[in-house]
Order: sequence, then C-alpha cells, then structure tokens
Amino acid sequence: MPLATYQTSVPVVVDDAKCIADKGCTVCVDVCPLDVLRISDMTGKAFMAYDECWYCMPCEADCPTGAVTVNIPYLLR
Amino acid sequence: MAMDEIVDGLSEVSCDVLVIGGGTAGPMAALKAKMKNPKANVVLLEKANVKRSGAISMGMDGLNNAVIPGYATPEQYTKEITIANDGIVDQKAVYKYAQSCYGIIEELDSFGIRFLKNENGDYAVKKVHHIGTYVLPMPNGETVKKALYRQLRRARILISNRYMATRLLKSSDGRIAGAVSVNTRTAEMLVIKAKAVILCMGAAGRLGLPTSGYMFGTYENAANSGDGYAMAYHAGAALANLECFQINPLIKDYNGPACAYVAGPFGAYTANNEDRRFIECDYWSGQMMLEFYNELLSGKGPVFLQLKHLHDKTIEEIEHTLHKVERPTRGLFQEGRGVDYRKESIEMHISEIGFCSGHSASGVFVDDNARTTVPGLYAAGDMASVPHNYMLGAFTNGSFAGLDAMEFADNHDFGAIDAGEIALERERVMAPTKREDGIPPNQIEYKTRRLVNDYLQPPKVTRKYELGMRRLAEVREDMQERMIARNAHELLRALEVQSIMDCADMAAHASLFREESRWGLYHWRTDFPEKDNENWFCHTLLSKQDGRMTSEKRAVQPYVVPIADDEKDLYDKQRIRASA
Amino acid sequence: MSSPFESYDDLDDADERLGAADPAERRVAIIALGHSGDPAAVAHLAKMVADPDAGVRQQVAMALGEFDGPEAAEALVQLLVDPERIVAAAAADSLAEFKDPASADAILPLVKHAHAFVRTGALRALKELRRRDTLKPALEALQDPDAAVRVQAIGVIGFLKLEESIPALTALIGDPDAHVRRAAVSALAFSHMKIAAETITRALADSDWMVREMAAETLGLNANGAVAADPLMACLADEFWQVRLKAIRSLGRMKIVQAVRPIGHCITHEQANLRKEAAAALGEIAAPDGEPFLALVANDLDPDVRKNARWALHQIAASKARAGS
Repeated sequence: MPLATYQTSVPVVVDDAKCIADKGCTVCVDVCPLDVLRISDMTGKAFMAYDECWYCMPCEADCPTGAVTVNIPYLLR
Repeated sequence: MAMDEIVDGLSEVSCDVLVIGGGTAGPMAALKAKMKNPKANVVLLEKANVKRSGAISMGMDGLNNAVIPGYATPEQYTKEITIANDGIVDQKAVYKYAQSCYGIIEELDSFGIRFLKNENGDYAVKKVHHIGTYVLPMPNGETVKKALYRQLRRARILISNRYMATRLLKSSDGRIAGAVSVNTRTAEMLVIKAKAVILCMGAAGRLGLPTSGYMFGTYENAANSGDGYAMAYHAGAALANLECFQINPLIKDYNGPACAYVAGPFGAYTANNEDRRFIECDYWSGQMMLEFYNELLSGKGPVFLQLKHLHDKTIEEIEHTLHKVERPTRGLFQEGRGVDYRKESIEMHISEIGFCSGHSASGVFVDDNARTTVPGLYAAGDMASVPHNYMLGAFTNGSFAGLDAMEFADNHDFGAIDAGEIALERERVMAPTKREDGIPPNQIEYKTRRLVNDYLQPPKVTRKYELGMRRLAEVREDMQERMIARNAHELLRALEVQSIMDCADMAAHASLFREESRWGLYHWRTDFPEKDNENWFCHTLLSKQDGRMTSEKRAVQPYVVPIADDEKDLYDKQRIRASA
Repeated sequence: MSSPFESYDDLDDADERLGAADPAERRVAIIALGHSGDPAAVAHLAKMVADPDAGVRQQVAMALGEFDGPEAAEALVQLLVDPERIVAAAAADSLAEFKDPASADAILPLVKHAHAFVRTGALRALKELRRRDTLKPALEALQDPDAAVRVQAIGVIGFLKLEESIPALTALIGDPDAHVRRAAVSALAFSHMKIAAETITRALADSDWMVREMAAETLGLNANGAVAADPLMACLADEFWQVRLKAIRSLGRMKIVQAVRPIGHCITHEQANLRKEAAAALGEIAAPDGEPFLALVANDLDPDVRKNARWALHQIAASKARAGS
C-alpha cells in the first residue's frame, strides 16, 4: 500500500532571527514531552517536525531568547 | 545523518534500582531510593526529558488532597476516599498516604516548590468539598519540575532521557531482573539490569480520542500512552479495577482542566444553562461525572464553569493561576475564542476515557509499600491502584516505592536474564522498521482510539463491547503484521500504539468481567444497571496467565478506619432532588 | 554508542564557552551550568554577573536560581541591582526560591537600596529565610514610601510570628494603601494579644471591600476572634456579599450562638454561595433556633445549599440528642 504525505499547519512557530540553535542551544528540542521539535540541517534553527503537539508550553517558556511561540492546534481552536 | 535515522544497536547497563518514568512519582522515588543508600546506583529512565516530562510538565495549580493538621485528619480523608470509591478500597494504603503526605509537602516546600501561604507563612488551605478541607493552591506552582530536577542533579541520579521502556525482564524464579528500552531518536536498544524496578509511567491518557479529532489534544499529557500498564501486564503483574475508567470535566475543545479546584475556593462553580449548580455529589467521583454527563445530555446543557458573578479583582486572581500554571495555553485558547470570564461562562465538556488513579481508582495493583504482585517490581503515581492520588499521591507513594525498592535491592542480587528473551524483544520492537511497505502508526492509532470511543465509552453495552473487541482484534492484526516505521520517531509512535492497543483490550476485558454498575459513569453497564454489593463488593484483578488475559475477584481488605452504615451511603443521601 | 546517561562532569567544557565572543554561545554555556546542579558551577556563574550583554546577565540570574546558599545569593544580589529590569526581575525570582538562612547576609544590605524594586525583591527573598535579625530592618521598611516594599516587609515580619512586632503591624491599619492594610490584617492572625484582634476588628469598617473581607476571614483564625462577634454580625449587612460570606464563615467556625438569627436572615440571599455558607454555619453552631431558617432552603434550587442545610439539620439534631442524654 503506497504512502502519501499530507499538509498540516503546525502549532509551534520559531522566529529564526531570535533562535540560537545554530550557536549550540537545544533547549526547546530537549524539553518537548512529545519530542516533535528538531533543528534544521539547512538553517540551523529549530522547527516543528511532527504535528503531535500537546500545546503544553515548555518550548516557549524555556526558550532563552523568546523565539518560540505555541499556538493552539487549528482543530481545537 | 538524516533526521531520526534508525541505528541498529544494543547495549547493556546495570543498576541497583531502576525507576521508569521521570514525571512526578518517578523523581521522588529515585531521590528517596538514593537517600536511603547513597552508594547505590539509581537510574531514572524517561521517554521524554525529566526537565519537562509528565502530567506536571508546566507545574501544578494546587494540591487537591492535602491532609494538613488542623484542617483534616487521616481518618476523615480515608473515609472520604472510601466513600467516593463506592467502598472498593484497600484503606491501608490510603491511610498511610494520608498520614505521610504532610511530611512530603514540607519536603517539597524545602525544595523551593511554592505553595500558597498567608502572611504568617502558614499554608493557606482552602475548602472545596462539602466535608473535608484538602485544597492547597499553588498560584506560583509553575516551577515544580525545575525544583525536582535540581534535586535529582544534586543527588547524582543517573538520568537517561529519550529512552522508552518496552518490556520488563524477569528471572526464572519470577523476580524482576530489569527492563528493555529503546532510544526514541536512534532506535538503539538499551538493556538495563536492575535488582528492583519502579514503574512511574503515568496514566493511559491516549486511549480515547478527543472530540476535536486531534490525536494529541488529550486531557492527560499525550506522552502518557499507557506503556506502564502494558509492561506490567506482560510481566504478569495484576492490574486492579481497570473497568473504573477515568473521565474528567474539562474546557470543551481545549480538553484541559477548567479547573474547579482553582476557581472553587474563589466562589466559582459548575453550572448548567440556567446558571445554576446541578452537581449533587460532593467529592470528585464517577457519580459526579454521571451527573455531569446527564446534565450535558439533558435540555439543561451545555455545562459551564461560572465566574461572571465574581468581582473583577477575584477573576483577575483566578486568571493569573489558570493562565500561568499546569496548562498555561488556557488563556491563549480563551483569547482566540474571545471569551472574557467577566461576561461569559466557560463552556465545559467531559473527556475521552482513560486509565488513571489520579482521580479514579484503577491501576497496577499495589499494596501500601507500592509493591506489585511481581517480587521486586513497584508502581506509583497515576498508573498504580491507590485511588485519588493526584500530584501529592504520586509524590508520597513514589517515596514509599523508592524506600522499599532500595531495601529490596540491598537484600537481593541481580536476577538472571535469558538472552533469548532479549533477542525476541528486540525482534518485536524493531519489526515495524524491517518492513518496506505498510500502514503508518498514526493510522493504526487513530483507528484504535476511534473504536475505543465508538464501542468502549460508557454507557457500556455488552453487545457493543463484543463488536468493539472484534474490530480491535482486526486492527491488532494489522498492527502486528503490517505497521511500518520509517524512522526512530515513528518507531516511538509505533511502540506507543501497541501500549494503547493493550490498554484498549484490558479496558474491554475488565469491563465485561464486572457484571454490575459501580462508580457512576466510570462503570455504567446498561445490561447490569444496579450496584450489586452481594456479588461484586470486591476488587477485580486482571492479569496475564498462560498467555491469556484473565480476570478474578479479590476481597476488599478489612477497613482500618471503620465506616458507619449511615455514612456508607452519604453521597446517595445527599442526592436529594428539590421537590419544587 | 555514547553513554545513555546525562553527564556530571561537563563544568570545564561549559566554563570554556563562557569566554565565547558571541553572547548566544555564552548563554548556552550558562544554561548548561545552571542545569548541572553542581555547587561548583556557582563560582563559574558568578564571574558572569558583569557581562556586557543583558540577555546573558538575565540567563545568569535564572541559572543561579538553581542553587541556594550565600555564594549564589551574593552573585544574585549584584544582578538584583542591575539597571536592566529583565535582569533584576530574574534575580528577584531566583532569590525568592532560596531557603538557606545563611543567604540572608548577602541580601540584607539591599533592604535600604535606593530603588524600590530592589528593596521589594530583597524583602521578598528574606521572608522564607525567617531569620530573627531581619525583623529590625523589616520593621524599618514599614515606613517605606513605596507600598510594594511595605507589603513585602509585612511578610518578613508576619512569617517570624513574634508578638513584639504587633504594635508596628497594628499601626498599619491607617496606611493609605489598601494592599498594605490587607496584608497587615492577615499578618495579625497569629497573635494572642488583644490589640491584634481589636485591630482586625477595626478593619471590618475599612473603606476597601477586600480589606474588610480579609478582616472577616482572619477573625475566624485569631485566638481572640470571638471578641468581634458583634461587629462580625454587623458585617452581615455589608454591601459586598463576599464580606458577608467570610463573616458568616468565621461566626460559624467560632460557634457564636447569638449569630443564628442574623445568619439565618442571609439564607435567602440571591447569591447561592452566601446561602450555602449560611446553611453550613448554622450547622456548625448547631443551635435549635437555626432550624426554621434551614427549613426555608430545604428545596433550594442549588444542590450545594440543600446539601449544607441537610447536614446542618443533622448537626442540630445530634446536638439536641447530646443535650437530652
């Protein structure tokens, strides 16, 4: 059975200008209980790789530079 | 290396006490074990990261069951919990909790965890329930995890993040010997040999599907996929009263607590569309949830958390807590909907089903030392059977588990592990990664949980259960034969859905075994609508015997705190309808 | 495969990165030091309190909150006086988590700092340390021109629970700021001195409803609260139901028999919370003349009111039975 990918708007947004993941910071990726954040090989910045969010906030609360914003997933909004 | 690329590997470590789950009970268990024997090795294994894992990832907004001298007594609390659980309680564990929890509060306070105090520095205990006074607010409780993590580091606990335990290992004499785990980012496997193991893996919160349809928008932390229940089951431990589901009142769609325990002391309450209270039952219980459910379905729904009768300044204080602690995105959600608590009540609903002894009574069966039925295996927190745990119960029972497990480890050597067993487990775990084509875990999970909603959610109907179990068996076959995981992260989800499936089977099996109705909405069987004390005033224990799911009765142990006949039906008696 | 466990010996590595030219890299190193839990990290962090980058200093203030004791307190004190508010606020939050009384030595001098924010933060931190030698400076701080400072000073004094502080606390009843008056009333709860109960009683007539509410509640907790039975009963006519509610609760808790009638007259109030509390209080007092009032709410539309009324009738019956036997 072939697999397909489908579109989804992700709730966690990272401001690349503020993110310091390229300087060695991994705070948001470390703290996510669902492990849905990753650091991009291309930009060196954090991003939401998997749309499996509990909108719980540690990524936003613990980000040292205020780069992360958690939104309510669209289906719940 | 590509993201989450699968690395094939297996290594082994050993320790004296292995604690699985770094949320609430786990860190306390690890700390207490280490304090008891500072020379011993204590490993704390966590699927996420101990810094922010578990139900209290963003802290907690209050203690709901604090037994504080001068406000409540252990006897009174034990009675109340017994009555709230329709009498099916082994009181010894509840009583021990009630006697010890104040000491734990003091200890948490010394860690820097902040409880509400008055200007004399005394705990500002609040009354929410009709009878006892048990609520201690934590308006600044957002730092709980931070404070715990600090203690773990100071005690030099061996912390292992991003490892998901998959199965427990036992030696041939039936004693616990360790656990198998897998790294959630590389799929490398790690075997941990241990003299004693403590399971603190939280609720089965990803069992039912939230009404929003968003799989991770669950009431419980969505990481709590019931792995502990599944592991205990496969290790042969008994699980108690799993038919006593947990269902919670919540903010509709947001699916998080509203939370009546926060707003209640300020004068807020749950109301129907006539702006009036309707809940007759007092302490949080299945009966209360049945009343909630009935009101939702009656012409008097929807149900609301009512705040608009309060003063602006009071609402401000409530908002401060609701929007900062436990589930801080509550404020963001209400803002998005344009809801102002001063003008509008908060629409509420009830949650999907789950297992959780946090505010219910089911779980891995434990005694008052947190021992399971497997020697050397312990359980504490939301997944263990001590009823109405909440956060403080997780800490307190976690502490009992840590102390007793270290004593066990001090008196036993490592159990022998069969290498063949590890090889078989490795094969099972990695199977979804070996397939070229198949069904992804999210589809298996969605379907499983949709079936849970359609067939297992109360009211429980035997015919529906039989159909549901048939359909679940079909999905299980797909899961075992066709599920595919293309990277380590998908493998994590693939393993979680296997726990979810096991929990769904246990929920169904346990529910059909108890042929009566009890605990209000939690176990309302339409084919057996009455409570049957003659035949079913007992626990039910589910376990794996000879490879098959089996249930049996277990007598309720004699009460430590006697309950007079006229108190037994206290809640029933309170439900006096207005005759006008 | 690398070690599956978090490392406990990465201090040197982090220390090296503290010297990085890029402030972001310094921040990352500070985060690591904070999480280490190793008391040796404090010395490394203390070196960074004068970092030119405010974000870095803020991170240091947060990281030091992971530790306790004089050494960390000394470093935080330097950050509490930082000209950047984000840094000072982080330092104040971190200090508020300290429990080691020895930390007070570093904090005490700041009680007299020129900026009110610093004075507030210092007093807030001293509260939980409960050291007797903080009483004098806290008493002096009651004269502070800034209300937030006075509120925190009350906390320091109140946490110590010393009768010798009562004259100073009672004097605050005339403070121009309502928050100060409210805190002072709450801080008087512990005292066995008559003047304390009398002062709380006077606050029942305060112009601010939240002060009146606190006074009504606190009288129920104070050893001499019963001297205020009459003024508490007078409070049952307060324009704010919130004040009446606390007065009813205190009268019930103290079992004031003369209060049955005035409480009874509140039992038909439109606010369900008040009816509920009135019913409960009549049960606590358990005097037979409460019965006719409870009969009025036997069929109340609010289940909590009915529940409490039923419980109260039960209490009265039990009390009668005891009197009979």
